[in-house]
Amino acid sequence: MALLQINDLIVLYGEIEALRGVSLSVDEGQVVTLLGANGAGKSTTLRAISGLAKPAAGEILFDGQSIAGFGPEAIVRLGISHVPEGRRIFPGLSVKENIMLGGSNRRAAKSELSREADAMFDLFPDIRPFSNALGWTLSGGQLQMVAVARGLMAKPRLLLLDEPSLGLAPVIVQAVFRIISEIRRNTTVLLVEQNARMGLSVADHGYVLETGRIVLGGKPDELWGNEAIAAAYLGGGHAKVTA
Amino acid sequence: MDLALQLLFTGIGIGAVYALVALGFVLIFRATNVVNFAQGEFSMVAAYLMVVFAVDLGWPYWLSFLLALAGMALLGAIFNLGVYYPLRHRTFLPVIIATIGASILLANSVLAIYGPQPQVLEGWFDTPGIQLGPVYLDSQYLLIIAVTIVLVIFNYWFFEHTMLGKKLQATSQDKEMASLLGISVSTMIMITFIYSAVLGGLAGILVAPVLFVSIQMGSTIALKAFAATIIGGFGDVAGAIIGGLALGIIETFGAAYISVPYKDGFAFLVLVAFLIFRPQGIFGERVAEKA
Repeated sequence: MALLQINDLIVLYGEIEALRGVSLSVDEGQVVTLLGANGAGKSTTLRAISGLAKPAAGEILFDGQSIAGFGPEAIVRLGISHVPEGRRIFPGLSVKENIMLGGSNRRAAKSELSREADAMFDLFPDIRPFSNALGWTLSGGQLQMVAVARGLMAKPRLLLLDEPSLGLAPVIVQAVFRIISEIRRNTTVLLVEQNARMGLSVADHGYVLETGRIVLGGKPDELWGNEAIAAAYLGGGHAKVTA
Repeated sequence: MDLALQLLFTGIGIGAVYALVALGFVLIFRATNVVNFAQGEFSMVAAYLMVVFAVDLGWPYWLSFLLALAGMALLGAIFNLGVYYPLRHRTFLPVIIATIGASILLANSVLAIYGPQPQVLEGWFDTPGIQLGPVYLDSQYLLIIAVTIVLVIFNYWFFEHTMLGKKLQATSQDKEMASLLGISVSTMIMITFIYSAVLGGLAGILVAPVLFVSIQMGSTIALKAFAATIIGGFGDVAGAIIGGLALGIIETFGAAYISVPYKDGFAFLVLVAFLIFRPQGIFGERVAEKA
């Protein structure tokens, strides 16, 4: 049984159908990447899973339990942690406080959260020196590291990552993806990316979303192999296909 | 010089009351992005609760005090559920109108029960005050200052050193993100309303023996406290406290050296000056941190 199973999910923003019957599944231990252009519905899919967007129809099953319509506070307690687009680091709190608050979905004393946050810096040594810096003072790459660290503090079974590479310099993007390949050892990841090369490089499975529908799914090399898809969504794939 | 010291003491005392109410304004504003125009009524209702318990029923002062604060906590909770919660997904405008409505309702409910005559509430202490060199320290003002100092320290400890305080801050900075982390946003807002109502109530109870207990005391204090938050930099906790103290000192000196009838006018003169020359307030730059 898949850890996450979505069937025929429909999400409306007012009159507009943002998702028009999305079905996908994520197995335990996998990294699954959701690709697609701007406005295809990638973020909306994640928002529906984490409870920020209410599904109009369709099923969302987490570990066999239906979670469609649950609030975000309840869903994160079940073990789904959402690192949203734009990082959303609390600007007036320090890096360490931001990370500690990531454990708000479970009962843990302040001292315990503090210890766990310190341990988190082993995975993210680049942000350790900024432990006491306020959120608003950080650069984009640092914010992304804090956001992922905060997401992991929930000890999730499933981590939802929305566009972790957005707006970051190539070197930083590589650092972020190194961390994703670390995380996958003990956490299942559903990753949304516009950067198809990076997104598929860490994935076991990929889906391509187009105007609210899944148009293709498969193993990364199958997706690369599809000429039309490579040209349209994966950018620069054309040369590889003709080779 | 002696007069100046005396005025400084009184100014700080009255300013401390404005600071407490201003703190209530700021905490609710940060949690909900809405100015609670009934904040002053919290002070007024608490003063009347003291009149009910300590004067009408003749219960001990400390017991009346605790009961009045408990009553304010309850009022804060009801206020949240009845005024803010149903409108929380709307824009700020309906919520502001609702707080104004609630303020009118509270004032007129008290008016219906007690009538327009001001009530008198004794101070906590039997001794009116002590003479310290050239300055006479009124015991009620001493109490106001002491309670305010304790509360400011408590407030700092609570928001900076407890996880609950951090969760409240996180909620005020980004509600959606807070909920994604498992923080119960509605609980955080409930706590904010209860805390703010108790703060406003404390201010009302403390200032009641200095003023008369009247229907108008709420709006007078609220207007001063609102001016204090703007002077301090809207939304800034330290700014609200310093703005409140500054306002108390300014109006006390203004009344003594310039004109007694225009005492209340000085607060608004300062407010207008700040709005023209420094609309971001004393601590205005810090607002950028929240952007």
